[in-house]
Amino acid sequence: MKKTALLSLLALGLGASSATAGDFGGRPRGGDSVRASLAIASQGEVHPGAVGGRGLAIYSKKVAVCEWNGQDVINNGVVLVKDGKIEAVGKRGEVLPPPDYAQMDVGDQWIVPGLVEMHNHVAGRFGLNDTVYLANPGLRASSDVFAGNAQLDLGLAGGVTTVLYIPGSGSNVGGQGVLLRTGFNTYEECLIKDPGSMKLAQAGNPERWLTRPNRSFMNWNTRTTFQRGIAYAQEWEAYERDGGVMPRKDPQWEIFRHLRKRDVHISTHTQIYQVVLKTITMVHDQLGLPFFIDHGTFDSWRVAKEAEKRGIFACLGPRNIDVPARGFIQWSGSNPERVQGVAAGYQSEGFTRIGFNTDSPVIPQEELQLQASMAVRYGFDESKMATLRGLTIVPAMAGGIGDKVGSIEVGKEADLLITTGDITDPRHSVELVLQLGKVVYDPAQTGRRW
Amino acid sequence: MIKLKLKTLAPLALLLAAVPAAALQPLPLLDDEATESEEEDEHWVLLKGGDVYTGTGALLRKADVLCRDGKIAEIGYDLYAPEEAEVMEISGYRVYPGLVALESRGLFGGSGSLKDSVDPFNESMTYAVASGITTAVNGSEIGKLNRGRLEDVLVKRGTFVGLSYSISNPSGRGSLREKLEAAAAYLRTYREWQVQVRSNKDLKEPKKSGVDSNVLAVLEGKARALFSSDEQQDLVGIARLAQEYGFRPVIKGCREGWIVADELGRAGAFAIIEARDRRSKNEALVRPGGSSIENAAILHQHGVQVAVLPSSTGISLGGIVGRDIMHMPTEAAFAVRGGLPEDAAIASMTTIPARLLGLGHRLGTIEEGKDADLIVTDGDLLHYRTFVQWALVGGRVVYDKEAELYFAHIRPRPDGELAPESPVDPGEDDIVEPPAEEPEEEPAEEPSEGSGDAPTEDSTEPPPAEGGSGEGAEEGPAEDTAD
Repeated sequence: MKKTALLSLLALGLGASSATAGDFGGRPRGGDSVRASLAIASQGEVHPGAVGGRGLAIYSKKVAVCEWNGQDVINNGVVLVKDGKIEAVGKRGEVLPPPDYAQMDVGDQWIVPGLVEMHNHVAGRFGLNDTVYLANPGLRASSDVFAGNAQLDLGLAGGVTTVLYIPGSGSNVGGQGVLLRTGFNTYEECLIKDPGSMKLAQAGNPERWLTRPNRSFMNWNTRTTFQRGIAYAQEWEAYERDGGVMPRKDPQWEIFRHLRKRDVHISTHTQIYQVVLKTITMVHDQLGLPFFIDHGTFDSWRVAKEAEKRGIFACLGPRNIDVPARGFIQWSGSNPERVQGVAAGYQSEGFTRIGFNTDSPVIPQEELQLQASMAVRYGFDESKMATLRGLTIVPAMAGGIGDKVGSIEVGKEADLLITTGDITDPRHSVELVLQLGKVVYDPAQTGRRW
Repeated sequence: MIKLKLKTLAPLALLLAAVPAAALQPLPLLDDEATESEEEDEHWVLLKGGDVYTGTGALLRKADVLCRDGKIAEIGYDLYAPEEAEVMEISGYRVYPGLVALESRGLFGGSGSLKDSVDPFNESMTYAVASGITTAVNGSEIGKLNRGRLEDVLVKRGTFVGLSYSISNPSGRGSLREKLEAAAAYLRTYREWQVQVRSNKDLKEPKKSGVDSNVLAVLEGKARALFSSDEQQDLVGIARLAQEYGFRPVIKGCREGWIVADELGRAGAFAIIEARDRRSKNEALVRPGGSSIENAAILHQHGVQVAVLPSSTGISLGGIVGRDIMHMPTEAAFAVRGGLPEDAAIASMTTIPARLLGLGHRLGTIEEGKDADLIVTDGDLLHYRTFVQWALVGGRVVYDKEAELYFAHIRPRPDGELAPESPVDPGEDDIVEPPAEEPEEEPAEEPSEGSGDAPTEDSTEPPPAEGGSGEGAEEGPAEDTAD
């Protein structure tokens, strides 16, 4: 399967010198000529495709567009990138780039949307996991971001371009997550959205089994906290609607104004089916706040029908299977009669919005794709490109940024991977990463990191 | 009766010839008495019509493998098998040599020596054979995962001599060199004596006093020197030491091997590596360093014998998958990501570990006369979707996916008892789909094989991949329930 693909470099906009892409030094890898072309283009000018630069047209035998309710792939496609955004995408020959656009042809390598991770703990210094107060909706992960750190860099080499960096699950409400790009070195360049989420954690970690707040107390505590937040937001809503005395601004509760507007979602550490059921009935039904299932493992798939009815998203992981338990301590209460794939379980209940997460560093960030392939191994049906969608558009929509990233659609940010094939397979590698149209990972320049 | 005796003794004799007596004490049987009563007829198994990935470079499509009394008797086409032979029709499936795990924890059920602790009925052994492993190193012993049987477990003892050579331990380096020097000097005098004693029968054999018997065994080729080393200076030091004293080192870890691969290749080194090893370089050094996803590929290019091992060598049942001994092919797949050719990736779990353990004459490839340790898979071993359907150890079926509770429900065999009652017609499947799915686009569910030149890409994709596209056996197609 390896990479002997001959690439034809169309050097139209790049000057003739870039056409000599024969000698790669080491073993030939398909992407080299592509990368060479961009390197040349970048000398002294803005990257084609990046903000302020010329446009860029990328041709490929397979463009995995990963639309949520649309097409999977475009064979013999072209993607036009201008000013960091996707300007057009379609069949080669049908979509025609303006004459000044830089062009490259990646042959039978794929163009894939950058992967999206909704459960990341490595984009900072892991400083946010309060375990004193049980509810801290005012804490912000954005205060802890370490842009361009080594672990994010490796994740980028694995194709992960977007992460939701969230507080730990030491308390019921850990604080606010922040949505970040991984390709840049400063917080400002990386920032997509702050607040990017609110973290809710039920059963499991916040229980602290020995000194426990038990589950019914945690449910009470969560509900009460959320009700206070909602009341705060309602006060502001009334003020914005009717005027009057401006309410006092309280950073502890500000996040609930976003939640009520539904421009920020709750990422919920929830697993074990009774607990997930509680999340559904309490957060969705009773309080009406947007949330997605994060983890969702053990036997949570049993309530997938209820989640599906409500249009709820799930990002599954890092656990991928549930096994017959023969141990003395049986913490989760789930004890299937067979090795049960978690994602396969959701699918068997007709659940459609299945994404994957790593909980990095639990699974290293660069192995996000492995979460999808292992789901398939344990029974998940990957036809209709459910794996690639689960790595891109599904988590993007779960996190509320499905309009910005996660698929190759007009108007979205140009976060694109050039890969040797379906990146779900660990044998395939990422040959180039563009973020906002800019080359942010290029193995030919920096060495292969993953 | 005599015939039978000969038969049971033959492998023993073979082993005795191949393996030195002193350090290793070959003991092919777990319990010698148990085999006395083992008076069975010849046992024949015929695997019929599978694609045989021999590991020798040859791929025999739709070929037969005939096993007799635990050995591979014949490989070919339209083989004749006696009437009593157990015949397995496996066309559409692939046959690979059983995997050899160079380190393991708990696969044999207990801890400690195999003789005292083998539990061939425990779940770990089932998971292990279900993952394709047929032979595993357990502490200082090598055993067969002869599931369900107490016989023929122990293969060999004491293969390795653990040595240490580190830039951070000068005195340790000094003492290792002294030991090697003493052992080499002893061997020289011994050889001299061997010549002279022919003419002078009174000459006394040189004394071994002061000679480290382990190091001596390494120089005599009776045991392998095992180093756990990652840093390039150490690796270079080991490679040079090995060339100076004439032994082939086994290096576990070998993180920075890619930087000094030429040195390691010249030394004929074996490397046991974790393809996904990740460690940043020492930033104080200007030269390259740290781990590289290309480590396996670069080492292989330079002639190093590369074996892979995942980060966890036990069976992990916590729910996180893809990084324990059950997922050796996943680890090898990451080596392929770094550029290792696919046949070398298969060899890194079969041929190379067998050779490394000094068992290349019995294990690691599918060849006549070798042990009938075989796995039958429903696809490319390196593909994440592929499952072991049957595993054979010593010519006996020790695992059948459909017969065990763990994985039977996942993509059941279309001809098996668990297959869906009315398999979904893939064509019809698309028509039922909502129109949004754009049926003229390829769903691109074949993620591998970017270009058509690889030998692994073939038209004989196994039936399970096509048929049960849905979930477990009890479910209909997933699309039906989705509405």
